[in-house]
Amino acid sequence: MSGSVLEDTPTVRPGVVPSGPFGGRVSWRWIGWIGAVIVLIVTPHVLDAFWTGKVTGWVCLAVAAQGLNLLTGYNGQISAGHGALYGLGAYTCAIWVDHFDGQFLGGVALAAVVSFAAGLLIGLPALRIKGLYLALVTLAVATLFPDLVKQLEGITGGQQGLKMSEPVPYRGTVVQQNVKWVAPEWTGLADDQWRFYVFAVIALACFALTANLVRSRMGRAMVAIRDNEVAAETNGVPVARVKVVTFGLSSALAGVGGALFALWQTQVFPLSFTLTASLYFLVAVVLGGPSSVIGPAIGAISYGLFEDVLSKKVLPERWQSLTPLILGVLLVVLMQLAPGGTVGMVQTLRRRRLARRASGVLQPAGQTVDQATDPATPDDPATDDPVLDDPATPDPTND
Amino acid sequence: MSEFFQFVVIGLGNGAVYAMVGMGLVVIYRSTGVLNFSQGEIAMFSTFIVWSAHEAGLPLPLALVVGMIAGAAIGAVLFRIAVQPLGDSKANPLPVVIATIGLFLAVNASASLVWGSESKPFEKLFGLGALEIGSVSIDYQKIGALAVLAVEVLAFQLLFNRTKLGLAMRSVASNPESSALAGVPVNRVLLAGWGLAAAIGAVAGTFTAPNFGIDANLMLNTLVFAFAAIALGGFDSLIGAVVGGLIVGVLTDVAPRYIDAIDKMPLAPAFLLIVAVLLFRPEGLFGTRRVQRV
Amino acid sequence: MSNRQPALSPSSVRRRPIRPVRLGAALVISLSLVAAACGRDDETTTDGGNSSETTAPGAAPFIDPAKDCLEGYEPTKGVNGTEILVGTVRPTTGPARIYDTVTKGLEKYFESVNAKGGVKAGDGTSYTIKLVKGDDGYDPGKTPGVVQSLVETDGIFAMVGQIGTETNEAVKSYMNTKCVPSIGLSTGSPGWGQNNTSPWYIGGLPSYALEAGAFLDFYSKTKPEAKIALLYQNDDFGKAYQGAIKKWITDNNSKITLVAEQPYDATSSQTTEAATAELAGSGADLFFVGIGGSQCPITLTFIPATWTPDVYTSITCSGKLALSLAQGKDEGIYSTQATLDPASAEDQTNAKVQAFLTDGAAVGLTKDELEGGIVSVGWGLGALFARSLELSPKMTRADVMNTLWQFDGEQVGLFRDGVPLTTDNDVDPWLIEAMRVVKRTGGQWVEAGPIVDYAGTSNSFAS
Repeated sequence: MSGSVLEDTPTVRPGVVPSGPFGGRVSWRWIGWIGAVIVLIVTPHVLDAFWTGKVTGWVCLAVAAQGLNLLTGYNGQISAGHGALYGLGAYTCAIWVDHFDGQFLGGVALAAVVSFAAGLLIGLPALRIKGLYLALVTLAVATLFPDLVKQLEGITGGQQGLKMSEPVPYRGTVVQQNVKWVAPEWTGLADDQWRFYVFAVIALACFALTANLVRSRMGRAMVAIRDNEVAAETNGVPVARVKVVTFGLSSALAGVGGALFALWQTQVFPLSFTLTASLYFLVAVVLGGPSSVIGPAIGAISYGLFEDVLSKKVLPERWQSLTPLILGVLLVVLMQLAPGGTVGMVQTLRRRRLARRASGVLQPAGQTVDQATDPATPDDPATDDPVLDDPATPDPTND
Repeated sequence: MSEFFQFVVIGLGNGAVYAMVGMGLVVIYRSTGVLNFSQGEIAMFSTFIVWSAHEAGLPLPLALVVGMIAGAAIGAVLFRIAVQPLGDSKANPLPVVIATIGLFLAVNASASLVWGSESKPFEKLFGLGALEIGSVSIDYQKIGALAVLAVEVLAFQLLFNRTKLGLAMRSVASNPESSALAGVPVNRVLLAGWGLAAAIGAVAGTFTAPNFGIDANLMLNTLVFAFAAIALGGFDSLIGAVVGGLIVGVLTDVAPRYIDAIDKMPLAPAFLLIVAVLLFRPEGLFGTRRVQRV
Repeated sequence: MSNRQPALSPSSVRRRPIRPVRLGAALVISLSLVAAACGRDDETTTDGGNSSETTAPGAAPFIDPAKDCLEGYEPTKGVNGTEILVGTVRPTTGPARIYDTVTKGLEKYFESVNAKGGVKAGDGTSYTIKLVKGDDGYDPGKTPGVVQSLVETDGIFAMVGQIGTETNEAVKSYMNTKCVPSIGLSTGSPGWGQNNTSPWYIGGLPSYALEAGAFLDFYSKTKPEAKIALLYQNDDFGKAYQGAIKKWITDNNSKITLVAEQPYDATSSQTTEAATAELAGSGADLFFVGIGGSQCPITLTFIPATWTPDVYTSITCSGKLALSLAQGKDEGIYSTQATLDPASAEDQTNAKVQAFLTDGAAVGLTKDELEGGIVSVGWGLGALFARSLELSPKMTRADVMNTLWQFDGEQVGLFRDGVPLTTDNDVDPWLIEAMRVVKRTGGQWVEAGPIVDYAGTSNSFAS
C-alpha cells in the first residue's frame, strides 16, 4: 500500500528522542495530555448546564471513534459497522440498568465486555474477508443491528425504545421517570458537571490505554499488518491473532462509547444505531486524522461543533436543512485538501515549514528541530532524517 | 403454495431493481476501483429529473431517456470533481470512501432543496395491469423490470465486447497504467463509467419510485440491498450483480414470511448468505479471484 | 468558580444504591398522597374556561404547580411582552416527512392571525404568536435534544402540534417534569388519555382506539360476522389500532373475527407489498390499514385483483395529498372524519372552510396545499391553541393548560359542526370524540354514517 494516506502517518521509532520546550526535558506529548486534562476540568465550569450536556454527548462519539480508529487507522481493516457495536454497548448498558437495576458504571463495564466478545466474533470471519468485502460485511452488520433490536422486542422494547426509568411519586400516583445523574453531595458539583467528569475520566482512560497500546509491541504489529500483511507474517507477526484481538478491542471501545451514550440519553432507540451512525463514525475518524491517538477527539469535537453549534446557532433557520449539504461538500473538499484529516494537515504544514528551514533559514547549531506541537502523534517522518534530527550533527546549511 | 409463488414474484420484481443498482456499482468498481456510496443518491436525483420531465408533459418513456442522459452528465461531473482528484483508490480506499459519503450527503440534500421533501406520486412505466396465472398475479411492471434488466445485461455485453469504449473500459479496469501508456484516454473512460452507472440508476429509480412515492430518501435502503447483491455476486461481475440482486430480492421477500424468528429482520437471510459465501469464496460467486504477490 | 447552584433534587429522585429503602419511601409517600387526594373535592363545574390558580369552590384546577412541578416552574417563560414564543417539532426527513405539511399549516395559521392583530387572550391583551420549528426526523433518539433546545435555549412558552407518537413519548417525562405544555399533539395515541400522569400533554387528534371502535360500531351493523385482516405499523401507533380492534370484539361479544395480522416496520426499506399479499391469502372481508406515512395509500395499489375486501384506512392517511399516492385505488375505501375537508365540494359551502381558503390564500398557501388535507390539520391545531389563549384568564402555563382541561363544547377551527371540543380533567381527557364514517366516492369523501359523539368514552376503547 505505498503512498497510502494511512501509511503517511508514521510510527514511533525507538532511539528518536521526542523533543519539547525547556530544552527537551518535558516532551510535547506530556504537555498535550496535561493540557487536555486542564481543558476537561475547566469545561463544565465555563459552559452552562445546557452546553455541558451537549459536550458530554461529544465524548461518547470520541470514544467510539477511537475504537474505529484503532481498527481502521492503525490496523487497516475498514469497518462500516461500528454503529452496531456502539448500539450493542448502548443496549447492554440500558438493559442492565433498567431490567436488572444495575449500577451505571457496571453497565459501562458490561458493555465493554459484551462488545469485545462481539468484536472477536466478527473479527474471526474477517480474517478470510478482506478490504472492501470486509467493509461490506460490516455494513451488513450495521444494517442488521436495528432490525435485530426490533426482532427482540421483549428485552429491547423494539421500535418504541428502552427507557432507563425508575418509579417516582407524582400527582397521587407513581410514574416512571428516566433515571438521573445525581452528583454526590461531597463534590459540591451540579449534576451535569458531575456527569461530564465521569464521562471525561472514562474517555481519558480509554485514550490513555489506546496511546499505550499503539506504542507497544502489539501496536507496532498492528501497523505492520496494515502496511504489508504478507511481509508482517513472514517476519513472525501473529497476524490472525493480532487482527482478531484488534477487532475485539476496537469493538470494546465502541461499546463503551455506546454505553456512555445510553447513560447520557437515559433512553435508547433502534433508529439511533443505523448504518448512518457507522458512516458518521468513519467521518469523525477521517476528519480528525486516522492513525493518531488524538485524531478521534478532534474529529468528534469537529463533528459536534458542526452539528450542535454551526448548524443550530450560526445558520439561520431557513438554512438548517442545508446542514447535510454543507457537511457533504466539506467532506469532498477535505479529502482533496487534507486526506490525512486535521492531524495530517498539521503534519503537512509542519513538514513544509521544516523543508523551508532546511533549505536556507539560519539555525543555531545544536538546536533540535522542533517536533510535533500535537503531543499525541508520533514523530513526523520528515524529521526522521538523521541529519536534521540528531542534535550532535550541525545543520549543514549553517555557518 | 400459490402464496409462495406470489412472494417469489414480488421478490423478483424488487430484485430486478437491486440488480440494476448493483450493475451500476460494478461498472464503477471495475473502472475506478471505488465502492460508490453515493450511487443510490445519484440514481434518485436522476429519477427526479425523469419525474420533472414527465410533469412537464413528456410521456414517461421519453422522460426516462431524458433522465438517463441528464443523470449520466451529473454522474460524470461528480466523478470529475470529487473522486478523480484523489488519485488511485485501490492503493488508498479510505479518502475515496469518505468522498463518496460526502457526495451521498450533498446529493441527497440537494434533491430535497430542489424538489421539496414531500413524497410525490410516480407513475408505473408499464402500467397498472397484471398477468393472472392461476391465483398468482404478476404485474406488468415486474415483467417489465426483468425485461429491462435483461436488455441492460445484453447492452453491457455488447458494449464491453464489441465496442472500442468497452474495450478501453476493460483495459483501464485491468491495468490503468499500461492503458495510459498505450494511449487510452483513461480519464474519459472513467467519466464514461460513472455516467453509465448514473444512467442505469435512473432506470432503477423509475422502477422503485411508484412503490414509495418519489422523494429524497428513495434509494437510501435500495443501496444497501445493491451492496448485498454485489457482495454475493462479486464486485467485478455484472452477471454476479444480476444473480446476486435477484437472490437477495427473493430471499428478502420470501424468508420472513415463513420464518417467524426473523419476521422483523427481512435483511437477515440475504446477509447471512453473503457471509457464508464470502467465507468460502471471498471474491463472491462470480468475482475474479485475486492472487496476492509476495 | 461555578456560579450555579447544584440542581434541586428531591430525595425521592436519587440514584441507585439505596434502592429498597427508596422504593419503600416512594410507596409510603404515594400512599399518603393518595390518601390526601381522596379527601379532596374532585367535582368540577362545567362552565367552560373557569380555571384560575386559586381553588374556586367546587372546582379544582387539574394542575397545581406548587404541588405538581418537581423541578421548578416558570409560569410566563416565553411570553415576551405581547409576543408568545411557541415551538413545534416535526420530521423533514424520514418515513413521516409527509407530515411536515402539518407544520406548514400551523405556521401559516399564526401568520394569518398575527396579520389580523393577534389573539385576544382572556387577560385582555392581544398577543402575536411566533413559532420556532425543530426537526427530529421522526427519530425519538433525536427528539430530546431538539426539544431541550427549544425549551431551554429558545425559551418557548409551549409546544404546539408536535408530530409523532414515539417522538412525543420520548420527551413526555421531560416536559411534564419541567411543567411545559405540549398542546394539540399531532397524534392520537391512546396513551394521552392517561392524563393524570402527563397533565401537560393534550392530544390534538382523536384517539386511535376510538377511531377503530367507532368504525367497527358502524361496520358491524351491516357485516356482523365480518373477518378482518389487519396491517398495523409495528409501533405505538399501529398497535393502538390492533389493541382497540381486539378489545372491541371482546367487549361487544361480537361475531367479528380478526383472522390475520401483519406488522409493518415503517422505518424499514420495504414496501407493504409482501405483507399485503400474505393478508390477501386470508380472504378477509375487511382490510384494515393501520399504518401511516406514504406507504398507507401505496398499500392500496398492492391489493391483488383477486381480493376485493372493504378497506379502511387510518385517519392520518385520508387527506387528498396522501391519497394521490394511491394512483386511483382509493375509490370505495372507508375512513373516519372529524374535520371539514377543504377538498370536498360539499364542505366548501361551509363558512368555516371558505374562511380557511381565503385566509390561507392570503398568507400564501397554494390551492393544492389548501385542499391537501394535511395543512388543514396544522391550521386546526393552531386554532386550538389560539382558543385556549382566548379562554385562559391569565397568561401562564398552568392557566392555559387548566383551561384546556375544561373545554366546554368549543367549536374550533376546521372541526365539523357536530364535533364540539369538550374535556373535563381526567374524567374526560379527550378533546375530539365525535366523528363520522366516510366513504371515498368519485375522488371525494362522502358521508357513510352520521356523526356520533363518543364524549368521555375514548379511554374505554383502548386496551
